Amino acid sequence: MRSSVSYILSSSTTEPNMSHPDYEQFSHDHAAILILLKHIGSQLKPKTFNKFYDRISKINEVKITDSTGQVRNITVRFVKEHPVENNDWGDFQTHRRLLGLVSLGKYDSQTELNEVCRVHESLKVKYNATLYDSRCVLFGPAKDSTSGSPTDVSSSSEDTSDPKTTVEEYTTPSNFKTRALFYEESSVCSDLENQITEFINSLFWVLESKKLERSREKLERVSLLYAPFEKKDFVGLDMESRQNKKRCTGRMTKHLGDLCLQAGLIAESLQYYTNAADILKGVNDWLWLGAAYEGLAAASALVLYPNMQRNEHFQRIGSLPEGSPKKPNPEAHQNNPTVVRKNIPNVLAPDDISKRYREAIIHYSKYQNAGIIETEASFKAARIAVEQNHALQAASFLQNVVYINLSLSEQEKIQRFETLADLYTQIGFNRKAAFCLRLAATRYVSPQNPNPNWSRCYTLMLQSLSGHKLLLDPIEMQEADQGWAVLQIQILQDLIVAAKRAGYSALATRHMTFLLQTMWPHLSPTEQKELAIQLQSLSVQCEGSPVPLVLDSGVVVPPANLTDIPLCAGFVLRDSKPHLRPKVIEKEKEDTGPFLFTPIHFGTGSLDRRKDKSNPKMDFLWVENEVCEVSLKLINPLPFELKVSNMRLLTSGVVFESVPETIVLPPDVPTSLTLSGWARESGELEIAGYSTHALGVKSNCRLKYMSNTFPFMYKIDVVPGLPVLQISTSLPQSASFSNFHDDNIVTSASVSLYHGEGAQCTVTLTNDSQIPIEMLDVTISSVLEQNLQDEIFRFDEEEVKRLLPLLPDQTATFTVSLYAAANFLAPNTATSPSLPHELNSGLFSSMSTSLPGNSLSRVNSSFRSSNSGHSSLAGGLTALFQQQPISSSAVEAQLKLRYSGGAGLESQHCRTSTVFFMVEMLPSLQVTNWDVMPAETSSQFYLVLDIINLTTQEMELEYAHAKCMLVEAQESCRVPVPVDRCPLSKLSDFYEEYNHSKTSVDVDKICSEHIAEQVNLKWLLNATDSSGLASLKGITLNSRMLDVVRMSPLQWDVKINGDAIHAQEDLSCEAGDCMELQMSIGNSLETSIKELALSVQFYQDYNNGTLNYRMDTRLAIAGTPKKILSVLEPQETASHKCNVIFFTPGLYKMDIQCYTPDGASVSTGPLINTGHVWKFTPPVSIQVK
Amino acid sequence: MAVCAAIVGKENSPKFFCCVNPDEELNFQYKVLSSLDIIEEKLNPTNKPGTEIKELYLGMLYSLETCKIYGYVTNTKIKFIIVVDSSNLQLRDNEIRSMFSKIHSEYADMVSNPFYTPGEPITSKLFASSIKNIITGTV
Amino acid sequence: MADDILLDLLHSEIVQYVVGNNDNMKDEDLSTLEYIGFSTGYRIIERLTKEMPRFKDELDTMKFICTDFWSAVYKKQIDNLRTNHQGVYVLQDNVFRFLSRLSNGKQYLEVAPRYVTFTCGVIRGSLANLNIQCLVTAEVQSLPSCKFHIQVQRT
Repeated sequence: MRSSVSYILSSSTTEPNMSHPDYEQFSHDHAAILILLKHIGSQLKPKTFNKFYDRISKINEVKITDSTGQVRNITVRFVKEHPVENNDWGDFQTHRRLLGLVSLGKYDSQTELNEVCRVHESLKVKYNATLYDSRCVLFGPAKDSTSGSPTDVSSSSEDTSDPKTTVEEYTTPSNFKTRALFYEESSVCSDLENQITEFINSLFWVLESKKLERSREKLERVSLLYAPFEKKDFVGLDMESRQNKKRCTGRMTKHLGDLCLQAGLIAESLQYYTNAADILKGVNDWLWLGAAYEGLAAASALVLYPNMQRNEHFQRIGSLPEGSPKKPNPEAHQNNPTVVRKNIPNVLAPDDISKRYREAIIHYSKYQNAGIIETEASFKAARIAVEQNHALQAASFLQNVVYINLSLSEQEKIQRFETLADLYTQIGFNRKAAFCLRLAATRYVSPQNPNPNWSRCYTLMLQSLSGHKLLLDPIEMQEADQGWAVLQIQILQDLIVAAKRAGYSALATRHMTFLLQTMWPHLSPTEQKELAIQLQSLSVQCEGSPVPLVLDSGVVVPPANLTDIPLCAGFVLRDSKPHLRPKVIEKEKEDTGPFLFTPIHFGTGSLDRRKDKSNPKMDFLWVENEVCEVSLKLINPLPFELKVSNMRLLTSGVVFESVPETIVLPPDVPTSLTLSGWARESGELEIAGYSTHALGVKSNCRLKYMSNTFPFMYKIDVVPGLPVLQISTSLPQSASFSNFHDDNIVTSASVSLYHGEGAQCTVTLTNDSQIPIEMLDVTISSVLEQNLQDEIFRFDEEEVKRLLPLLPDQTATFTVSLYAAANFLAPNTATSPSLPHELNSGLFSSMSTSLPGNSLSRVNSSFRSSNSGHSSLAGGLTALFQQQPISSSAVEAQLKLRYSGGAGLESQHCRTSTVFFMVEMLPSLQVTNWDVMPAETSSQFYLVLDIINLTTQEMELEYAHAKCMLVEAQESCRVPVPVDRCPLSKLSDFYEEYNHSKTSVDVDKICSEHIAEQVNLKWLLNATDSSGLASLKGITLNSRMLDVVRMSPLQWDVKINGDAIHAQEDLSCEAGDCMELQMSIGNSLETSIKELALSVQFYQDYNNGTLNYRMDTRLAIAGTPKKILSVLEPQETASHKCNVIFFTPGLYKMDIQCYTPDGASVSTGPLINTGHVWKFTPPVSIQVK
Repeated sequence: MAVCAAIVGKENSPKFFCCVNPDEELNFQYKVLSSLDIIEEKLNPTNKPGTEIKELYLGMLYSLETCKIYGYVTNTKIKFIIVVDSSNLQLRDNEIRSMFSKIHSEYADMVSNPFYTPGEPITSKLFASSIKNIITGTV
Repeated sequence: MADDILLDLLHSEIVQYVVGNNDNMKDEDLSTLEYIGFSTGYRIIERLTKEMPRFKDELDTMKFICTDFWSAVYKKQIDNLRTNHQGVYVLQDNVFRFLSRLSNGKQYLEVAPRYVTFTCGVIRGSLANLNIQCLVTAEVQSLPSCKFHIQVQRT
């Protein structure tokens, strides 16, 4: 916009600069009468002065009726200062002249009054050249309320000062020729406005007369008006030249325009300006042409925008949202002016105003000495553009200001930037405004500034933040996350310097904290390090703490927290140790429901996907008054060691006492830290984060503001206090244990037992808390089947109940019995066909003779080979035993103690502790094979057992009452155990229920149990003094065995030669003798037996496994050896007789048996199933000589 | 030849900045930042009807003693700003236009780059060198 | 030309990929498909508006979507644009490219949403980058015709 021919029309700058710039000028001020409102004397308080100044300045418009009856609208501008040099430009633009003076002063004494009057007079002298009139407002001392109204002492203006000392004690000095207005400071001064209006009136009339005087001058005769610097340019010029005459006329016309404008004659002034512009253009009088244009524009603006007003310079408050820039509704003004414009000729259109201003400015710019005029014109033009809501226009005018090269004082430069900033703000150019504010701020502390003012600098810097999209609240700042980071960093650094230099150390620390917190990602590692070090040194001056800082201006600087120094990489609430975890006493709910996946449909509105916040509610509980822990993983992002002290948890909800922690973090290595504390109440506890003290700054680091994704806060329920139980056992702890099933294990007990051995374990309970234990619930659990488990582990529930209540610090005990239950039977397949031959067929030969007390170790190997993989047990033992029947095994079990007491019990919570039991079971002995043999008496039978001592010690085995034998380690022995036969009474149920189709297994079972009951193998290991009992539980029997084991349903009575035969008795006779054999059988069942065949048979046993039944040549039987009984009723006895003659000597055996013949029809009993044979046992042997 | 080019996002935060002389970067950043006021004003829809600029090229935003600043705003409200040294008189408006057009093409390609998420600062080295070539007139 | 069909094939493969073996037509989750469209639209619009003068207003932008934009993507223009002047626009394409090869009538009507979702996303993404936040839904009554409803969200 500036003329490219800059300064060519200016003389060199020897001329002192014309005046001081008045950046506050409006174009409307062209029409105003300038009045200086001056504070004089020292008595009047500035506050009072300002109060009166504000009051008086409100009278800025006065309507005066002139001599022709026309109402003039006279505007007034009051100023507090007016450099007298500015009057020099009064010819150029008359509104620059100071026309009136009102001074305000206070006195308490005559002397003071005299002094005030003297100052006033000297001011009059100072502005003598332009002053039309003056007033002196004097505030006297408080006096009796005799005179209500001020006393007008002076009669008329100027010439007559008539010091009428009426009721006044004080009088103005005689040389005081001003109208003085006396008031009391405290009174309402109700007619002050009238007085001022009257004063303005008087000024108007002087002005009016001057204007008339000028307008009556003949335009051809007028003298040339000069701008101050022009004077010497015209020295010696021919003023009579046509050119200069026109110049004179043009300038005077313009001058008249000014006067008319001031005198309220806008229409006339427009006319004058228009004419002047025409004339001046003709003579290339650029400076004055510019002034004419400016006048034209100003007058037009006055018509178009009569309401344009100087807005009160409001204090911007940084933390408040920036007030929307003043953007008046464009229509509001446009309707009005168009109407007005029609009435007045020569009024410029709105767009032309700017155009004229632009031209004026271009013309001014040709004169270096008119720099201030140009600057002011730019501001005025900008203000009109603002009013026109034409931001770009305004901006271009404002931009022009910066180019104008003025030698200004620092203060004036600052004002210039502040004014620019203000105007930029008004047009919404916040960035530009911020830029200007920064320039102003730097001027305050520039090296050229004789009085650096860091405080002002800081204030302006602070104001400039918003223009750079910097908010004072780090939280809002991070949420907004917009802006020009590179510049923001620099601006913040400047702000910090300003705060530091201004002595606001708390603010310096705060801003530095803010910088690190918000700009961290935009800083280079070096910057991060340097700024962190700077923060450390700043915080030495004043420690940072998370409280808002309030500035004098009312600006609130919110707290800045270093949430990411150190960076929190993990924040985990810790559950208590398993055995201390509170549990709900009611049966714990099984978490069985199927996991349901609910896909959430996000209609994502932006390119980045939403963050997922995890559930903040903990599924475990904390206990009142017990240590609660939170594990943190912290990363120090700085390249040096960072000390973080006073770390505590930030909580809300129930009262929580946090333990401060201090940690030194090495650079870049994640470090774990546990923060702990105690909840002092029960209820819901919210954990929002933690506080730190790092780099000298105290911060409240809340999870929701951290850069890592955490829930806003964690919530956890705190339950009332629970007792703590300490548990020990009398047994040694096991070296290792699996906690696969239960992690509540507090201690363990281990013991080694030989199969069949028992032990006692004393469990000692100590109440370690201050809460009595009122509930104790003990259970044992293991992977074993219940009945086996009960066999191994036993305790008395009543004994446990008697322990309660267990008071604080008390100790109680109870006992757990342990027993090494085992299967002592080798997996035997006695019923299987793969049984060794000897047992089946050779039983009655060699064995029978040597049975009692004899070891049969020679057949061991063949017996053992009968071990086969499948179970010989009817159930009850677990796989544990089946897999390793011989080697040692370990049984694990948990003794669970659920306990509670006090308030915790009331809230239905308890704790669970577990004692881990490990019983190592060593094999003691094993029955590798067994068989049964008839005993000497029919009421008993022999159970023949092959027993192997699996220990490494000598074992004393008591296999039957008072029958002992010693078995070497790893040796076997065969023992016959006399056992009562299974009585029919035990079997009776079975017989009765036969018809309901029971299987023969039941018979096995009954007999097996019978044996297990009857036989107890007591063993004693002398070396370790351990003893135990082996049971034959689960022994299996085949049907042949069963016949031996159980009492026969048939009662035998066999007589030879009339003598009853006794078992094991050897009979002898001579060859050729006739032996009478009488056999009778009785049915001891309660049912009848049908179709029985009773037979006798002889054979010879060669003791080599061969039995010879072909006896035809060796003996002869007289009578039938076989008798068929069609039916045998209960309790009935049937007998049969026959005779036998042996032909040759030898050992014969007689086999007497009873059977149901083949093909015989059904109907026999279960015991007598077809083909079943009962034998009279043992077989009778007869020695024939 | 221009001395500086900048790409500013929808919400007026810088996405890319390229300066022929890196020492002047901060200085230019301030200038570019200030020019956003003018861009905003030029695009202000409340301006008087008929005054809005239909072209993407906004022309010169403002001139300083040392440099002139030109602006260009895409339909997606991405701002391109070019700073030209005031002493450089031979650079004509047409050439500025063509620079902007080339920058726009580069940017459109950038947006199609799967490694660039629109709205993030541009860190592609290829892009940086292309822009530098455009403003220094080496292409 | 082969390159025309390429987009169609790629599109149907994407649909297939995203929808997978889902036989459940009700409540099908097509948000991934929509997002792919959104991202595509957001990116492509920069290129398509490069030579365009600045849009005057919303309607001007919509016209661009109907003409230049549609031509660039679908090789034809929208057949009908209607608006209530309160932020609701209905764009009707009588032979929508992604449906034109499916059927001519009601056959496959129930799977039609799969083949318009991507385009809904493209429209939404394009307008989002042009600073018009909106909801886009599609309505298919009889293939291959399709109506896209754009509801501008004013803040």
